[in-house]
Formats: sequence, C-alpha cells, structure tokens
Amino acid sequence: MRWLIAGLFFALAVALTIATAAIRAQNIAERRDIQRVYDDVQDRDKDLIRLGYEGLEAASPERLAQLHREWLQNELLRQQEQVQ
Amino acid sequence: MKPGELLRIRVAFGALAVVPIFLAGWLGWLQVAQAGTLTRRNGKLLPLVASTADRQGRRFEKVPAPRGTVTDRFGFVLAADCAIYEVRARITVPLKCREDVTFFRPWVKRIVDGFSLALVADPDISDRAAVHAKHRKRLTDTMNREWSLANLPTSGKWPKKHTQVVEFLVSSSIDRLMVSDALRAYHMSDAYPTIVLDFLHGFRRVYPERALTHGLIGHCNSFKVERPSGGFDLQTFGMCGLETFAGLEPRKSASRRYLADGRRRSYFVAPVREATNPAVLQSTIDIELQRAAVRELTAMCEAGMRLDPKKKAQWGSLVLIELDTGDVLASASWHRGKPRLEAKSYTPYQNLFEPGSIVKPLVLSYAYEVGALDWDHEYDCNPRHATYRERIRKLGRRNSVTDDHVCEILTPHGILLNSSNIGAAYIGLQLTREQWQDYMAAYGFGRSLGLNLPSESRGGNHPRSFAPDIPLRSFRANSAISFSFGYELTATALQVARAYMRMFKGLGAELRLVRGLEIDGQWHPVPAKQDTGPHYRPAVVEAVRRAMTAVVSNDPHATGRHLHAAILKELKVDLHGLIGGKTGTAASNVRLRDGRKISARNASFVGFLPADNPRWLAVCVLQKDDSAPFYGGSYAAPPAVKLLLQCQSLAERGPLRQESRLSLGGQTQLAPSGVGFRSPGSQGWSAPVGAGVPSDTR
Repeated sequence: MRWLIAGLFFALAVALTIATAAIRAQNIAERRDIQRVYDDVQDRDKDLIRLGYEGLEAASPERLAQLHREWLQNELLRQQEQVQ
Repeated sequence: MKPGELLRIRVAFGALAVVPIFLAGWLGWLQVAQAGTLTRRNGKLLPLVASTADRQGRRFEKVPAPRGTVTDRFGFVLAADCAIYEVRARITVPLKCREDVTFFRPWVKRIVDGFSLALVADPDISDRAAVHAKHRKRLTDTMNREWSLANLPTSGKWPKKHTQVVEFLVSSSIDRLMVSDALRAYHMSDAYPTIVLDFLHGFRRVYPERALTHGLIGHCNSFKVERPSGGFDLQTFGMCGLETFAGLEPRKSASRRYLADGRRRSYFVAPVREATNPAVLQSTIDIELQRAAVRELTAMCEAGMRLDPKKKAQWGSLVLIELDTGDVLASASWHRGKPRLEAKSYTPYQNLFEPGSIVKPLVLSYAYEVGALDWDHEYDCNPRHATYRERIRKLGRRNSVTDDHVCEILTPHGILLNSSNIGAAYIGLQLTREQWQDYMAAYGFGRSLGLNLPSESRGGNHPRSFAPDIPLRSFRANSAISFSFGYELTATALQVARAYMRMFKGLGAELRLVRGLEIDGQWHPVPAKQDTGPHYRPAVVEAVRRAMTAVVSNDPHATGRHLHAAILKELKVDLHGLIGGKTGTAASNVRLRDGRKISARNASFVGFLPADNPRWLAVCVLQKDDSAPFYGGSYAAPPAVKLLLQCQSLAERGPLRQESRLSLGGQTQLAPSGVGFRSPGSQGWSAPVGAGVPSDTR
C-alpha cells in the first residue's frame, strides 16, 4: 500500500512539474501577446498625436481660406467650361 | 502480493526514482561543479551561473521625458514634443550567405528595397516617390559602408575577418502607424530572422502656429554636424524665446522592464514606470489676437504707402497688452520682402526706433506729476512770437523746432491734441537734467523688458546725453528739447507699451509673457507686477487720458482725425470716446552696417480701449527707409485700432474660449482631440508596404 501511495505522489510530482512548465510557457505566450498589443497601442498613440497636429494645421483659418480659394477657382473653371 | 511482484514493483519505481536523481545530479554538475567563467572583452569575468542566464533575459526600455509644452492663455498648444520612434537595425549575416557569398548582395538589396518602401508605407506621405528614392540611396550607402561591400569577395565562403553584424539607424523620426507596422514586419521575421529592429522612444518638437509665434515662442532646432573623424553629432542651438525657459527642460526619464525569450523576442513584464507629464508653460499670448495682429500688420504693410504695393515700409511692429496684468496678448513682426521668418529680427523687442510724438503724453504726465507743469497753463506755440525766441531760439539749438501746422495758444491738453513740438519743448525745458534721467528710468527706456527674451534691444537715450561734461545749456538746447518729442532716444514697441502701462498702473509695472507653469498638476502662477512702485496722481492720469481720447476724434486740430474718419467710413465705428491714442511721426538718420547713413521715417501710434477706463493698449510702428511723408495716423494707427476692436469683440465672447482646444500630456498619456483627421490611403499608391512580408512578432 505504501508503495502505491509513494507511486501516486511521484506521479503527482511529475504532473505538477509538467503543469508548471506548461503554465509558464502559456504565460510567456500570453505576455508576448500583451507585448504586441502594447506596441500596437504605442504605435497608434504616436500616429494619433501626429494626426491631431495635422488636423489642427489643416483646420487653421489660413489653410481653410486657401482651400476655399482653391475650391472657388475650380468652381469658376467648371462654370466657364460649362458656358463654352 | 507475491515476492516476485514486489520485486518488480521495486525495480520499476527504483528506475523511475533514478530519473529525477540523475536530473538533479546533472544540474548540480553543470551549475556548481562545472560552473566556470568567461573572460569578456573588457577583461571582466562572467560567471556561468543561473543568475547570469536570468540577467541576460532582462531588458530595460528607456523612455525619455518630453520637453515642456507651451500654450497660449487658453490652452492652445503653441509648442510641444510629439512622440516618435527612432528605429535602429542590427543585422547579422544569415548562415546561407556565410556559406556562399553569392547570395549576400541580392539579400542586402532586398533588405534595402524593403526598408525604403516600408519608410514610405503611408500613402499620405507627400512627394512619396522622391522620399522613397532618397531613403533607398541613403540605405544603400549605409549598407555598402557598414558591410564594406567593396572589400567582400563575390563568391566563396564568408571571409573570417569580415564583419558579420552591422548596426545602423533606419530612421530617426517615425510617427506613422503604417510605417511602423511595415517596419515591425521585418523584425525577426521568418523571412529575415537575423534582422532585429529596435524601436526607441523619442520626441520631435512641433510648433502648430510657428509662422505666427516664432518670435515669442522661439524654437530649438537640432542640426547634424559632421565629425572630422567620420560620423556626425546632433547639436542643438538657436534656442530663443520662451523655449529658453529652464522650466521646459525634459525631466527625469522613465523606464519599462521586459524580458526576452531564447530568440531574443521581447515579452511584456511591466508598463512604463514613473512616467512624468511634461511641464506646461502657459504664455500670455492669445492666439486669436496674435493671428489678428499679424493679419492687420501684414495687410497694412503689404498694401504699401498710398496704396502703392511697390512702396512698402522696411519693417513693422504691432503689440497688444492687457493693462491690468501686463500680459502681452499679441505681438506681430513684419519685414519687407519674403525673408525666412526666423532669419529676420523680431521687431517688437529687437528693432529700435525713435518714438517721436508718441512720448509726449509720457513727458507731460511726468512733468505734471513732478510739479513742473500746470495743466491749465497756456503756452504760446507760435514760432514767430517772442516766447519761442526767448525760450528756444536763444538756446542756440542747431535744428529749429517746428510744428506741422502753426499753433497758437495751447494748454497741455491742446499740445497733445495738436501734437505740438514747440509746446512739448516748452514743457521739456521745465524739467531738470536729473528729472530727465529719472524720466528715463521711470518709464524704462534703455532698460530690459525683463522677459528673458534673447537678443533683446534696449535702446535708450544717446550715450552722451547725460555726460557730466556736457554743459547744462547744451543739454537744455539739444537733449531736453529732443527728448520732449521723442528724439535722441530709441525704444522698441514693447518698451513703449511698458512705458504707457507704467503711466496708467504704477512705475513698478512690468510686462508679463508667462502666466504660470504647471508641474505635476501643481499650478505655479507668475505674479503680475501691476500696481507696484510709485503711482501717478489720478488727476494726472485722468488729464492725459482725456487729452489722448480727444486726439482720436473729428476735432479739426486732432492728429487722429484722419483715423477717425477712415474707421468711420470703413467699419462704421465712431472711435471718439471709444479709443484714446496718440500718433507719432519721426524722421531720423539711421546708420547701416556698411557705415552708410540713410534717411528713415517711422510712423507710430499708441492706442487704448476703452477710452474711459483703459483695459488694453496697442502700439504700432512702421519704419521706411526714405524721406517721403509718412504719418502715424494714416499708417500705424489703423492696424492698432482694428486690433483693439478685435480684442474687445473677442472679450465679449470670452467665456466661450476658456477651454483648451488641444490637450497634450507626455509619454503614453498623449491624447490630442482629433479633428478633421485624414483617412489613410486616400491617395493612390501601391499596396501597403510590408503586407507581403511574413511576421511572427506582429
């Protein structure tokens, strides 16, 4: 009987070892996934900041006036073509 | 249990027990008995123990702290650090290429092509083809140099002494998602397992309204300087304006911990630790008013004299301050031609001019305050009368004192209204030499603005004006009379604004360009220095204020009558009682750098609003380099008045502008409010670069 118990304990120890190794491997895999997400967020964060400034510059009165002038010129050309 | 079975069980379990004992023994043998050391390149010994292996898996990512952010008075960002990546590559020659060098050069070419395409992966990059060609050439040169391709044989095995690992900078500034995605696809990918890319955190300084604010906010640029021994250094110089404030310096950098697996691929351990938000320096500038100031000054200067665009002023300056706080709300600078903005002086605090008649209210107020003047006294300002002969001509002054039009009997109020030089000279002669020295100090002429602005011009009186060896009679004949109507004295537009502010708010008043500094959420205000120092009696300020209010009216003698009529016609606004001011015109000889002297004229105007209780004050100066007539009321006053009206208009809808329009922090907290974002891929180009490259890390 005691040999049986000893055997069971040994099997338990082996199982625990394998489980621990598996969990650690899974843990590393999960952490690498988190790392990817983290890098992804960082990349998007930087892109968002850039877009924020570009949006700000694109919406400045001078830029809007320039766009408006371009639009009016195009509109004028279009109307002249229609008349011809 | 039979004896045989017991034996078999014992043997089986004994065999099983041998396995862990063997493993433990082996571990002990390797880690303890066999644990030796390696000699590193620097001579130190590296113990081959478990902790060394653990330590080699540890990684730290340094996250530098950003420079502080500069905002306008309502939180609009004027200068900030924009987070970017600096990408560095470490490439090892793969085994296949080492076995046969024939494969190496095509392999390098593929990497160069891939990297240069990845760097222009975003279709929104302007002039993409040219940028791509530039990157391709740079990377080709780098690869050739780093791997010494000229010395590498074209076939055979890899030479033993030839370097196998190279490290180089792929790009110093990457902030586009598509570019970083495309580059990351190469990092230890299946196709290129020997390429390791490090994405280092960095910052790029951005100035959203640089054209409007370059003189006050300043700039800090880094330039590449070639080393004599090869390579280059990055040197930062040219800092000026608010950028020079120590409070904006980057603070303690943060770090992030992570680990690397057996293939050196990183995996997450912890986020950024001890990340600090950048300091926020809130300036006193109102970007809306700044925009209006630049617009008004540019419109007037570009229109030219008498609406002739060929006859433009040499330079112009327009400033607006808030009298209650001394805050500089706006300051604009203009130069003839189309120079690079940063290459020219910033006129509001760097260009000196002889202020001319705009100092008369200052002279009269000082004289009234010190008791040298009776405000009800009448002066005979006709140059043909005996008073002029006795008081001015007999002093033997080289240049006679004249007025634009012949004036008769004038009170000090009338002297300001008519801008009579003769009247001002009479009053100036009533001041002693010591009082004139005190006048200069009281109004801050020749003294720094105290705003820590680099290359600030101080001007002031002529160096020999108060020289002890100058006889008093000569001082009275020349300096005292010239000072009275703004000659023999130079000042900047901001110095004139400060002088008027001192007249209204006390002689200790100073201008302010910084409202406060926010560090770690703690607001540290910069106190205003208004209402400090000796104050003029209310009767003095009131008398001068009334006279200046009368200047901007339809009175036939008022020097601001043309301005009054022009604004009434153009904007349908009656300025009388709304705006007070003083026009100025000065003609002087300016010595150029090459030694030549030219005749220069400047037109100036000082205005305040509301006229009955001044809250804002504007100073405008235009200088031209010829002797044609040039009047402050016609050229300098309109931009200043329009700016004041704009200021009042904006103040009426002030509460709507109290919120920040762009909120920026540091590190990962950076989160701008996105308005008008462009959709990526809006322009035609090939498929996103890097899409076809297999990746096992992203």
